[in-house]
Amino acid sequence: MKAGFLHLLLFIVAFVSWSCNDQCTETRITRRLTPISRPLAEIRSSVRTEAAHTLKKPGKMYVKGNYLFINEIKEGIHIIDNSNPAAPNFISFINIPGNGDIAVKGNILYADSFSDLVALDISDVNAPKEVGRVNNVFQTGQFDGVWWTMTAPNAGIQDNAITDYKVEYVTETVSTNCEENIMYPILNSATAMSFSDMAFFRGKSASSSSNSGGTSGKAGSMSRFALHDNFLYTVSQSSLHLFNISKPSSPSDFSTINLGWNIETIFPYKNKLFIGSSTGMFIYDNSNPSAPQQLSVFQHGNACDPVVVHDDIAYVTLRTGTACAGTQNQMDLVDVSDASSPQLIRSYQMQNPHGLSIDFPILYLCEGEFGLKIFNAEDKMDIESKLLAHFKDMDAYDVISLGKTVLVIGKDGFYQYDASDVKNLRLLSKIPVSK
Amino acid sequence: MKVFSQLLICFLLSGSLLAQENTFKRRYVNHTEFGGLFGRVKSSYGYQQNAVESKASITAQIYNGLQLNKSLSAGVTAGMDWYKTALVNPLAAGMRYDLFKGKSARLFGTLDAGYGFTWFHQDTDGYKTKGGWMLNPGVGVKYGKPGGNAFTIVFSYKRQELHVDKPLWYDQQVRFEERIYNRLALRLGMYL
Repeated sequence: MKAGFLHLLLFIVAFVSWSCNDQCTETRITRRLTPISRPLAEIRSSVRTEAAHTLKKPGKMYVKGNYLFINEIKEGIHIIDNSNPAAPNFISFINIPGNGDIAVKGNILYADSFSDLVALDISDVNAPKEVGRVNNVFQTGQFDGVWWTMTAPNAGIQDNAITDYKVEYVTETVSTNCEENIMYPILNSATAMSFSDMAFFRGKSASSSSNSGGTSGKAGSMSRFALHDNFLYTVSQSSLHLFNISKPSSPSDFSTINLGWNIETIFPYKNKLFIGSSTGMFIYDNSNPSAPQQLSVFQHGNACDPVVVHDDIAYVTLRTGTACAGTQNQMDLVDVSDASSPQLIRSYQMQNPHGLSIDFPILYLCEGEFGLKIFNAEDKMDIESKLLAHFKDMDAYDVISLGKTVLVIGKDGFYQYDASDVKNLRLLSKIPVSK
Repeated sequence: MKVFSQLLICFLLSGSLLAQENTFKRRYVNHTEFGGLFGRVKSSYGYQQNAVESKASITAQIYNGLQLNKSLSAGVTAGMDWYKTALVNPLAAGMRYDLFKGKSARLFGTLDAGYGFTWFHQDTDGYKTKGGWMLNPGVGVKYGKPGGNAFTIVFSYKRQELHVDKPLWYDQQVRFEERIYNRLALRLGMYL
């Protein structure tokens, strides 16, 4: 009986389930884009102050004194009273359609609104007011890897509308041949448009720390805005715009410097501007703030690349991602002691590095969904083994070190830590995103 | 791994019960095999729909166990399978069971169940291959004197699961592949 049962079992297992076709399925969650047109007149009339909102889709952050400014991607800016880091208090929300970047000088907050640069007086943080605007200065831009463009329906008069896209996420499953061949997606018209845009204008959600002195604040490393002297520098996908803010409430378009393609972030440091693009890092001499001069380009593989600088070393993170189409996830240390000839010191493998901040020798590095890493960067040749801490249970997009405190922002919210002991960061407060 | 250990315990317990049926001296057995994994795959690639390709991979494995009675042995199987884009090391609980008692040629059954690890696999940049469950039942023929060394030919069905995280293309948020290798395994070996 027992032997019979075993015979039966073996034959059933061996033959009934016999199937010699490999079954491999690839699952993709893909963004599907539907074009929509938004009249500029409507966009411009929508800038207004509203009661405090909850965080839904946080983008970049900016610190000025006791106030935090957190971008709600494409929607506007949260103003938060952070005089008590353990209990930040939402004060108001400035509705700014198409906003992604922030810079503050004195009582004037500068923000992009699709094609325009807007200046707002924040003397009264409860009721900021628009005081200045430069129209049609940005021709195209990107939010979460989706491009918008200005349309020119009236023979080149580009003040009519913005072509934007409605975003939907589609899950699809396809059979594969069980190998690693690159599966190029079949693009529909909307994604094809977006793809071609990307090929020519890649530039990505930004941030880098604009640490110009005086009365300006501090941004994260993913910023596309930087302040220095009487100028606001902004990078678009292909150029560096200089705005004269000698009269802060009335910014004027001063000049434009063509940089090539795929510009992503800008980081001012001493008399230099470090500009990250998806193919390299540009270094500009900014001794004359009204006329930056290119000194060099440090080339690297195709990847998104925020950069921060301390003394003679630039810390450049390269990551894969939707807008970068790269395959590298690493941090490069670049010797910029001779800014006209930057030299790679060493590359460190990372998981998916985004923004970073340095409070030498402590280096804070956001790893996206893999959390926040803290390194001791004293030995430039051996940072990898000097990992002081790794906070995995968070999504970290960008970080600002303020010495005693560290601010981190990601898809799941805004975190504020006491950094007096970097090995044991103590969470002071968290503002979660509301679903 | 819990399933793996439970299977091993079941085999050992069943062996001890069977051993009580008649006097039998347990001994160490080894079954070393080398062969191929053969199959096909049907996939759609771009505008090429339902294309069929043949697949062949090299496999080697070593089984070490105890002969629990005249018919049954149980032990552990370790192997290495060279799929085209994955190098997998299965580690499994195994058994060998003589189905019919012939003289010079005997039909026997094999069963290995465990987990395929990717310890020695090297990924292309951007890819991350993770291991998965493995099942390998089959039948074979032993050529040799009963109780002595034997030359074996085994036909078996091998199922190996893998998970591969893939680099994202432009408009993708998530991209991964679930692989199930369903192969006919043909192996030659020695049963000692």
